[in-house]
Amino acid sequence: MFDGGAFAPRGAVRLSRPEGRSYNSGMRSLFRLLSPSRTAPKPPVVQRDRIPFVLADGHHIEILRVRDPRARRIKLSFDERGARLSLPLRASLVAGERFLHEHRDWLTAQFTAQTEHAGNGLQRDATAALPLRGEAVPLHWQGSRATRLDFDAGGTLVFGAPASAGNAALQRALRDFYEAQGRADVGRWLPKYIAGLPRTPRRIVFKRTSTLWGSLAPDGSLALDLSLVLARPSAFEYVLVHELCHLLHADHSRRFWREVERRFPDWRDERSYFNREGRALKTRLRTLLAG
Amino acid sequence: MFFRNLTLFRFPSSLDLSDLESQLGECALKPVGPLELSSRGFVPPFGQHGDALSHGLHDALWLTVGGEDKLLPGAVVNDLLQKKLAAIEEKEGRKPGGRTRKRLKDELITELLPRAFVRPVRSDALLDTTLGVVAVDTSSRKNAESVVSEIRRALGSFPALPLNAETAPRAILTGWIAGDPLPDGLSLGDECELRDPTDSGAVVKIQRMELVGDEIAKHLEAGKQATRLALVLDDHVSFVLGEDLVVRKLKLLDGAVDQLESTDRDDVAAELDARFALMAGEFKRLFAVLEKAFKLSKAT
Repeated sequence: MFDGGAFAPRGAVRLSRPEGRSYNSGMRSLFRLLSPSRTAPKPPVVQRDRIPFVLADGHHIEILRVRDPRARRIKLSFDERGARLSLPLRASLVAGERFLHEHRDWLTAQFTAQTEHAGNGLQRDATAALPLRGEAVPLHWQGSRATRLDFDAGGTLVFGAPASAGNAALQRALRDFYEAQGRADVGRWLPKYIAGLPRTPRRIVFKRTSTLWGSLAPDGSLALDLSLVLARPSAFEYVLVHELCHLLHADHSRRFWREVERRFPDWRDERSYFNREGRALKTRLRTLLAG
Repeated sequence: MFFRNLTLFRFPSSLDLSDLESQLGECALKPVGPLELSSRGFVPPFGQHGDALSHGLHDALWLTVGGEDKLLPGAVVNDLLQKKLAAIEEKEGRKPGGRTRKRLKDELITELLPRAFVRPVRSDALLDTTLGVVAVDTSSRKNAESVVSEIRRALGSFPALPLNAETAPRAILTGWIAGDPLPDGLSLGDECELRDPTDSGAVVKIQRMELVGDEIAKHLEAGKQATRLALVLDDHVSFVLGEDLVVRKLKLLDGAVDQLESTDRDDVAAELDARFALMAGEFKRLFAVLEKAFKLSKAT
């Protein structure tokens, strides 16, 4: 699994362990008989709601407020999905709002930076270039019987779509195009690295992930983040190598990093690249595919 | 023995298969044991009409993975388990706990397995060593992967990768229905599936209808895209190609089968050999068309 080190990994929210697990079965039966409802108390659940907030520059945004039993302190984070305020069970709503106001300037700076990265969404006849392999590729629009985005014989990127095709169809075509480009890159690099691996990936899929860049499942399925196609090719290649090395060592041990170093000596540069540009790449893709 | 579906994988064409027969022999199918649920291994492609575990013709190899699966329905086990649990509860005056329940279930399975029916299974695979392609006769990716795993087990190393299209298959299929020129020899069939690109969007399945017309055009103008398309190659092979690049409903047409009927058929083995030769030849032509149209990556 490679998260680029840019974002704090966020695990899935799990319900807490049912109480009484440690008692022996006889004691548990006794408690169950004595309990009026005869059911275990429900663990506290995660509560989410959205609250409006005005930034220092006057922008109105919505903040996702999450009351999470696992949270130990009040936490404010900002990623390509927006701002998120995590509250532990004991914190009051007033304390949360006070925390927001205390960090209004930080939030404003984050929002401004994200707006710069995001750019505009995909708009028919208006989007003049698309990000691909670290560059902005000029895009030409034309009428067509079916929605399709591809390079023409002359190497020009052409988006053909019927007049009635909606935004969803355009975004799907763009997603298919990015996936095909990603597959082309993977197809070019993979033969170089397969030798010396104990097995091949069972399948390779492209996903839109929030923090990870790639992952390898125990069954050998290799998942890559679709926004890698927007990154410079060497960075994409590094993530592929990183995940392939997990076929040798399913951890991040020294032995694992030695294998990465042997196959991709410049991996540190690429990791720094993701630390610098990672969020911008994910944000840009999210904007393009979300409209 | 004509394959009906093709799930394709690529492997390096430089792979050494000179010792294949003996390697397959070490992984031949063994009958499923009394306490085993299933077994897998290689069986002769010619069945009872031959002993060799592979059949080769020029650069085409025919391998067959056979298996035996025990049929032990969960409902049968659960029913017997409930009866046992009820008997214990009546005898001891308490409900048996989870651990007892698990032990009883294991005992029941051990008792029933030797008496269970055994279902034979068989999956054929065609290896084209020049193209570096394995075609497994199934539309199920899971089954195809299990066949490739068996080949890997036999060879020790078999770096087979699922097909990797360097262009969006959905866009290509949609383009062909929309009027883009089809590759030489390929023509539209009479079946397709059109999907709205939104998640859980509308799906239109068309069968036995000409794929050129106003009805289709309206669906395309609304933004729907082809996810499955029936195609015919040179009046020899008809098939349905999905966006997952699995070939379904593969059928050799009269144009191809006519060649077979003109051959001498002395015995079953000779006929199977002739059919395999025909199949391998048609597959080679089909794959060449697909490889070019979808820009399929090579494994080397």
